[in-house]
Amino acid sequence: MMVKKGKLGGYAGQHLHVDMTKGTCKPIPIDKEFALLYLGGQGFASRIMYDRVGPKTDALSPENILIWATGPFTGTLWPQASRYVVAAKSPLTGIFGEAHSAGHWGPELKFAGYDTIIVTGRSKIPKYLFIDNGTARLLDAVELWGRNTAETEDMIKETHNDRNLRVSCIGQAGENLVRFAAIINDYDRAAARSGIGAVAGSKHLKAVAVRGGQDIPIAKPDRYLEVIEELHRKMLASPFTASRAMYGTTNLVELMQEIGRLPSYNMRSGVFAAYQKISGEAIKKDYLVKPRADFACLQRCGRYTRVKSGPYAYCGGAPEYETQSAMGSRCGNDNLESILYGHHLSNLYGLDTISTGATISWAMEAWEEGLITAKDTGGIDLSWGNHESIITLIHMIAKREGFGDILAEGSYRAAQRIGRGTEKFVMHCKKQEIAGQEPRAQKSMGLATATAARGADHLYAFPVLDEVGFDQEIGIRYGTDYLPEIGDRLNPKYKGVMVKENEDFCAVVESLGVCKYGTLIPPVLFYEDIVKAFDVTVGHSISEKQLRTIGERIVNLNRGFNVREGIRRKDDSLPSRLTKTPAPEGPSKGQVVELEQMLDEYYELRGWRVEDGLPTKRTLNRLGLDDVIVDLTKLGIELPE
Amino acid sequence: MRRFLYADPTVCVGCRICEAICSLHWEKTINPKKSRNRVRRVDPGLDVVVACRNCDQAWCIEACPEEALRKNRNGIVIVDSKKCRGCGACVEACPFGAIFLHPDTQKAIKCIACGFCTKYCPVDTLQILTDEELAALKQQKVIQHECGNLLDELRVEEESEKR
Repeated sequence: MMVKKGKLGGYAGQHLHVDMTKGTCKPIPIDKEFALLYLGGQGFASRIMYDRVGPKTDALSPENILIWATGPFTGTLWPQASRYVVAAKSPLTGIFGEAHSAGHWGPELKFAGYDTIIVTGRSKIPKYLFIDNGTARLLDAVELWGRNTAETEDMIKETHNDRNLRVSCIGQAGENLVRFAAIINDYDRAAARSGIGAVAGSKHLKAVAVRGGQDIPIAKPDRYLEVIEELHRKMLASPFTASRAMYGTTNLVELMQEIGRLPSYNMRSGVFAAYQKISGEAIKKDYLVKPRADFACLQRCGRYTRVKSGPYAYCGGAPEYETQSAMGSRCGNDNLESILYGHHLSNLYGLDTISTGATISWAMEAWEEGLITAKDTGGIDLSWGNHESIITLIHMIAKREGFGDILAEGSYRAAQRIGRGTEKFVMHCKKQEIAGQEPRAQKSMGLATATAARGADHLYAFPVLDEVGFDQEIGIRYGTDYLPEIGDRLNPKYKGVMVKENEDFCAVVESLGVCKYGTLIPPVLFYEDIVKAFDVTVGHSISEKQLRTIGERIVNLNRGFNVREGIRRKDDSLPSRLTKTPAPEGPSKGQVVELEQMLDEYYELRGWRVEDGLPTKRTLNRLGLDDVIVDLTKLGIELPE
Repeated sequence: MRRFLYADPTVCVGCRICEAICSLHWEKTINPKKSRNRVRRVDPGLDVVVACRNCDQAWCIEACPEEALRKNRNGIVIVDSKKCRGCGACVEACPFGAIFLHPDTQKAIKCIACGFCTKYCPVDTLQILTDEELAALKQQKVIQHECGNLLDELRVEEESEKR
């Protein structure tokens, strides 16, 4: 099918509105102007969230909305075109929440005829959404309720007698409203952060199963392959591609250790003595079965691993670096099989492994300090590295049993509840646990963690080029004027430039529905490649400048959402452990994060007021967000000129 | 001699680029249901590319009531879409599940081993083979698997002898 006149290629062309309360599904055509202002994915979700979820909405109430959104490149041949976003107000942070995943589900949603699913309300009984080649209906999920994600996916496939359906679903953690519950698709791909799984649980929406059969129209098919071939060639030529295929992200343990950036013992330190035991090399040697790819992926960082015997026997998806650090070094745990199994369990229950591991590591430090005792834990020993306790707690968190019920609230709320000084060990920003990126060893990551819209997050800006040795690419991407300081991971100077530019670019990447691998790291594909691919895919000529503006618009829209929730500069913060206590050992010994200095630079570049981080009217106006000015002003928020 | 599309299921990573390329090549759109090959993950660790084997005794040809299927000079099973009425008897007959009905026209579509997709395979496992070539490939793999360690040891000994 050729692209119809006046229509855009790349898009399926429809939102699906699902009202869980009324049990209705209604397709709504996507406006061309809307598509070109926000692209898709994160951009669509950000606009819809801003318009429809106000500051009074409780994240777990029927009034919250839950959005699945793909982009115009999802399901195409752009290298790594498998991504989708799930967004909602977060039950963990209470602000803008989003999580991203890959696999084959996102492309299938588009083959089924929809770019976006917007879910409102709450069903009385559990339901799952079945989208079958254009038609959508809500089906009874009473039998599925209480099942883990793998069982849920299998049962839906059996019900419809089709192994090739794609399923995105929650496990018991989402049902039990664990505040860091994930949504899992294709058995082991996770939209993990922000607790979006709990939002699905609150709506009694167990799963979304999709089956396609429709075209993703390509605007210029005769020139399309020529452009794509060039992108594929560039991607495969990168030395990172071979390394990704061999290790995925697992060998980041070794690389992070080398620069003192591997958090250990609840972020007390950035090195872990037993790092080799939990390394990528160790996984490859004894547990890796083979790498696997998501749709149209050349990087194939997904992997399949197996523990053959013993208490932690399993086969399935392999951990990423983040799980190795969260359930490994961060908890002082060097038992690799327990990390692999903990990861597998988290996928089955539908848990974010970062927040799970980080919350347990908080409890472990409080235990060591004598602030949490066996009386609190019901007799579970929380000594550093007790892997049996880590596994026990994963079960208990997902089921909200005993001490797990407290941990299921996330480390911030758990510390508020327990008190006794445990609050100072919470490694969070805006109530979300900081990922496995020790920022004292890389200052840009500290700033990125503090400014990310969904609370502590390494991916919202994903600054990684200053980790080591990318000065040439840094020069190309940010300008040579900022060298050498910008490329020095320990120098706070110009990190505002890096984080601001990256946030804008990441917003574009996640809105197109493609992966940060290949775009951010390795830094192969950039704006100019998007411009070319957008033209042949969508059939609309878009400039680099326009793309940059779209990225900025999305970031400002996210900020607007959070400003409405009360977020100001004071909230763009890091625990004092990272800003005041020098790193105690390793290659980055003595370092702290000079956050305030970097924030000043960042706000200045963003066009936000330095004192309180409020966007200026001028900035919002320049980005076409006058409605946000009106809205915030109406709520009594005085925006600076 | 018959030729067909083959990928080693232990090497294939399941990216489905070949599916998308096939539909783009033949249909100028991206739609896996219009692709002549299909990638199926049959086990978490096995990704199988399903494509027509162009069997010598092709059951699909025998099953077709319209005589729309035939073998050409090169041993490739060809669908005459003018004759095909979309009854699906070939789909039922094929033991590999390697012939499909086009979602728009409802006529049979299948891989004709054109090989266009093979050059886009990121792990270089997709190829057009004859039976002899496939057998040779398998032999190589078995030898590597069974004797790989032995060969490594021999090599080490040789080197130490040299020293």
